[in-house]
Amino acid sequence: MAADQFACTAAVVEETPDAVVVSNLGVASYVLAEVADRDRNFYLWGSMGSTTATGVGVAHGTDEQVTVLTGDGSLTMSLGVCSTVVTADQPNLTVVCFDNGIYGTTGGQPTPSIDFAAAAEAQGLSATSVADDDAFAAAYADAVDHEGPSLIECAVEPTDPEARPTFDFPHIPRRVRDSLNE
Amino acid sequence: MSWEAEIVNGLLDAEIDLVTQLPDGAMGAVLEGLHEADVDTLRVEREESAIAAASGAWVTGERAAVMCQSSGLANAINAIGSLSVPARLPFLALVTRRGDLGEFNIAQVPAGYGLPAMMDEMGVRHTVVSEPGALRKTVRMAADSAFSTRTPYVVFLDATVTGYGQEAQ
Ligand SMILES: Cc1ncc(C[n+]2csc(CCOP(=O)(O)OP(=O)(O)O)c2C)c(N)n1
Ligand SMILES: [Mg+2]
Repeated sequence: MAADQFACTAAVVEETPDAVVVSNLGVASYVLAEVADRDRNFYLWGSMGSTTATGVGVAHGTDEQVTVLTGDGSLTMSLGVCSTVVTADQPNLTVVCFDNGIYGTTGGQPTPSIDFAAAAEAQGLSATSVADDDAFAAAYADAVDHEGPSLIECAVEPTDPEARPTFDFPHIPRRVRDSLNE
Repeated sequence: MSWEAEIVNGLLDAEIDLVTQLPDGAMGAVLEGLHEADVDTLRVEREESAIAAASGAWVTGERAAVMCQSSGLANAINAIGSLSVPARLPFLALVTRRGDLGEFNIAQVPAGYGLPAMMDEMGVRHTVVSEPGALRKTVRMAADSAFSTRTPYVVFLDATVTGYGQEAQ
């Protein structure tokens, strides 16, 4: 069984409408753009493996909720970043790893199979694993309430979204910054 | 003033809010000085994360600096090339540069010696500091320029400033 990445992304935006959402290059950003093109969507167009650390930096400078939507391939590339999330210890940071089992953005090649919740816990990061839409929504609400940072591993069906965020990359962080400064 | 104090004061002058770093022996006193001055520091697992976290801080209005060894900057090339430069996310980097004068370890040479040219290739401005005298001003001015032009700036610190291991002697 696996969740729907669109439904889960929509649940994030509904539960935390003011959150800065940092989205992994590729599918995670395309889905987010299709769900809602918000000012506080920090879409990445590159830097595979750096999505979570980008969120750590955002969470340092704001008290707003910061949610990272990363992918299984990207998190695998920098799995040790969970330790940095623990070091930074920001109560407003939630990391969601959409595990579709593939490098979806590059055509669907299989990713290594990793128990991300266990890998996060092994680094001291509180984590949970879900595989359907309702369980995700509940886990996300819990994670936002949780006093420290945490990770949700969410098994999702592969998807191939139509939407794209703006190709004007410098505009994306500028828009987030202006929104936070309002 | 010690070169370490020059750097700490330069970072304070520049009103840096966050220093993301992976420890380098040579920068120990700088890190200590930052803690004493109550500047937030964040130890990362990999230098690419130091660049990414500094980039993330910018959207909140903060000014972040990255501290690492030259091998660490080499570890972060893709974040600089596919995040900092194209998204115009500025940071100041203070990088202890191995691989040049006094270097005994060949493993430090290709990246350490070559990084200024690599930064040029990516369009990242930088300066190599080999005399500690004006370091405070250099750090301050590098930060000011990074954040007002919204582009990264790297200050390399040569072994003539930071000292060097004489293992091979
Ligand atoms: C450093 C680096 N390696 C490889 C790529 C090519 N690439 C872009 S997206 C992607 C897949 C990312 O996989 P995952 O994080 O699982 O996200 P998904 O596409 O499945 O949503 C790859 C391999 C890249 N852009 N950068
Ligand atoms: Mg994937």
